[in-house]
Amino acid sequence: MKILIVDDSNAIAMVVSGYIKELGFEAYHALNGKDAVDMISQDDVFDLILLDWNMPVMDGLAFLEFNQANNLTKCPIMMMTTENKPEKIMKALELGAIEYIMKPFSKEILESKIQTLKQAAA
Amino acid sequence: MENKPVYPILAKFVFDNTGIFYGERDYYRLDSRIDKIMRELNLASEDVLIDHIKNGHDQSVKAKIIDICTNNETFFFRDQNPFNALKEDILPEFIDQKRVSELNIWSCACSSGQEPLSILMTIFEKYPNQRIKLDATDISKTILEKAKSGIYNSLEAQRGLPIQSLIKYFEQVENNCWRAKGELLNRISYGEFNLFSNNYPLEKYHVIFCRNVLIYQNMENKNKILDKLYRALVPGGYLIMGAGESLIGSTIELEQKSVAGTMVFKKKDDQSKAAA
Repeated sequence: MKILIVDDSNAIAMVVSGYIKELGFEAYHALNGKDAVDMISQDDVFDLILLDWNMPVMDGLAFLEFNQANNLTKCPIMMMTTENKPEKIMKALELGAIEYIMKPFSKEILESKIQTLKQAAA
Repeated sequence: MENKPVYPILAKFVFDNTGIFYGERDYYRLDSRIDKIMRELNLASEDVLIDHIKNGHDQSVKAKIIDICTNNETFFFRDQNPFNALKEDILPEFIDQKRVSELNIWSCACSSGQEPLSILMTIFEKYPNQRIKLDATDISKTILEKAKSGIYNSLEAQRGLPIQSLIKYFEQVENNCWRAKGELLNRISYGEFNLFSNNYPLEKYHVIFCRNVLIYQNMENKNKILDKLYRALVPGGYLIMGAGESLIGSTIELEQKSVAGTMVFKKKDDQSKAAA
């Protein structure tokens, strides 16, 4: 399973990629929504995108809107953000995110959400 | 491993009060609990703890020790398969085939409430208008208070709970916590119950969830509890145990069924009893 972390924080990306590797998956990193668009446009190989909300250049919401308007990828998208208001969560779900992790979170929460998505896709 | 004098005394106290069995090989599992008891009760030494257990008259101290020595590990939709079995097999049998107007369900070691809430969410997804009475009990008064509040911090709320269910059935409250909505909480009757020593109702429940409880009992007590759970089931009722728990060593007559990737245990219904 190839998982793309889209987050402007290198520290967060390091921690999350560590979790992902421990689970036996491959981790990739994009620094913002635009970076993710470029990576996916070049090679759409990802099985899951973990998407932060607040990022420079192109934020998570703008990425979701871009994806919806341009059919960039059908890869499942899980938000991974400090934004935790119900209206924001619903907005992201309306724009195509299928799961949502509120920071801070634990490795076991990430694992259970990834495994649930993996089972649903099987 | 160091052989502390407190081990056998605490183990006997826990066994006498809850039936939970710590053999000598399990004593190491008491270490973190002893640390927590010492910290929370502000005890100066393990000798003081021994004195409380042997000679203490303060029931609140004893209740605290029991609280800490019972296992409260839980999360939403734990193991998932039992909830799939409920949705795909057990609920349709009672509601669609047998036309049961009101389902009685018991979550008998409900801990901080994630299991009864998961049961209700499962039922509501398929049968939103079904009448339900859900009893949720636990031996620990402290943990029941949390269950009754229905409030979970962000980490607890995210463990096992899909985001759509969080948004639908919970509301955000202060300190980044989430509270189960009244439509769930108001359907649950919470109460203290000691599976080891309390009296069980007869033929009341259509489904009993008793997961990851009997694993901590010795064979004799496990059989006593299973016998009482059996009698608390209506004919045709289901007992749902934890992954890896079984009826091995028990003499009660429950039919073992494999449903949705898990084992559930069914009491014979009246018709099959009559035919037998």
